[in-house]
Amino acid sequence: MSSVSLAFDGLRRRFGRVRALEAATGRVAAGEALVVTGANGSGKSTLLRCLAGLLAPDAGTIEHREAGEALSPAERRARIGFVAPDLAFYDELSAGENLEFFARLRGLPVARAGELLERVGLPADRAAGALSSGMRQRLRWAWALLARPRALLLDEPFQNLDLEGEGTVRSLLGEHLEAGGLAVVASPIALEVSGAVFNLELGR
Amino acid sequence: MPSSTSNWVDSALAVFAKDWRCELRSRYALNAIALFAVTTLVVTSAALGPAGTSKSLAINVLPAMLWLILLFAAAAGLPRAFVHEEESHTAIALRLAAPPSALFVGKLLFGVTLLLGIEALVAPLYLGVMTLSVASPGLFVVALLGGGYGLAAGSVLIAALASQARGRSTLFSVLAFPVLLPLLLLAIELTRNAVAGDAPGPALPQLLLYDGSVTIAGLMLFPAVWNP
Repeated sequence: MSSVSLAFDGLRRRFGRVRALEAATGRVAAGEALVVTGANGSGKSTLLRCLAGLLAPDAGTIEHREAGEALSPAERRARIGFVAPDLAFYDELSAGENLEFFARLRGLPVARAGELLERVGLPADRAAGALSSGMRQRLRWAWALLARPRALLLDEPFQNLDLEGEGTVRSLLGEHLEAGGLAVVASPIALEVSGAVFNLELGR
Repeated sequence: MPSSTSNWVDSALAVFAKDWRCELRSRYALNAIALFAVTTLVVTSAALGPAGTSKSLAINVLPAMLWLILLFAAAAGLPRAFVHEEESHTAIALRLAAPPSALFVGKLLFGVTLLLGIEALVAPLYLGVMTLSVASPGLFVVALLGGGYGLAAGSVLIAALASQARGRSTLFSVLAFPVLLPLLLLAIELTRNAVAGDAPGPALPQLLLYDGSVTIAGLMLFPAVWNP
């Protein structure tokens, strides 16, 4: 695997008069996880959306490098794996059809969808609209890993999972880090993540 | 990210196929458009009767009524193309996975095929109910194809712009007026010429120019609007 790193410096983002994110700075390299903690409203989700290229920060810089090459926001969007509570899928399609659609969209073999669903323990033929909240979280994980991303951005990644589900996705995260990937994990409470972990606490 | 042309085409076709698959299972836009089209068709025929027997009405009024029916039918279903993605939060996954121009083209193909399907249902019914005879059926079909494409392309483009705003429905109506008005005037003119058996005149090249312009504008504007 080629090297990957993600650094951000002085990121700020406002929504109208609300200062959602204030001067967030951090750095994470291959094989490392950065755990971002903070109270509700401290800007964790906003930070991850900025890093994913889903929001443009008002100020600050983001440098995401893969194989020595700095990625543009469009390349960041295409390369990262993202898990977030408000990431949703098509209720009319089954879990398998959803993943196969996104595999085709990204030019990936559709067989990858089946492999990941099996790995997260999700029936491929179950309609996404009929999935429980824990099963939806498993589907988010499978979706995030579809393109074998080098950087994972995980917003409350263990939310709604049962013990078995949490064990499965922790294994997936561990394998990702061992293989030289990186992760930024946001949570309102301190999380234990195996491997080299750095912490960043956001405040208001 | 797909880098080759074939991957880009595959991505656009994947969006098109996904939209149709979801639509055939939920039938939201199909039902909204078909019900609106049939209701306005019935109201028009009840109010005007077999107006096609009057040459003046057939040429001056009925083509405009047909395009008003199609306009409101389109407005009832096509904005959903992007608005639903935002409201159901599936837009996040799309933003991260789809090349914006391929996404726009996939949505455009869905909108065009949906509207042309509705035209195939409404136009023969309209001709029959209003006893409207068309002197140039070939030109009539061209007017429906060219006008239908423009109406769908314009509606999808406006839906893409409006989906980012809070007052989506209001914004769609406000933006639709200036964008779709020239198209409707051209489509009505061409349909009039078809009914009367006249030559297409300048309305045909102008309609094709409009269709091309809206498509190019969509491809250029959409990536900037869709991504932050």
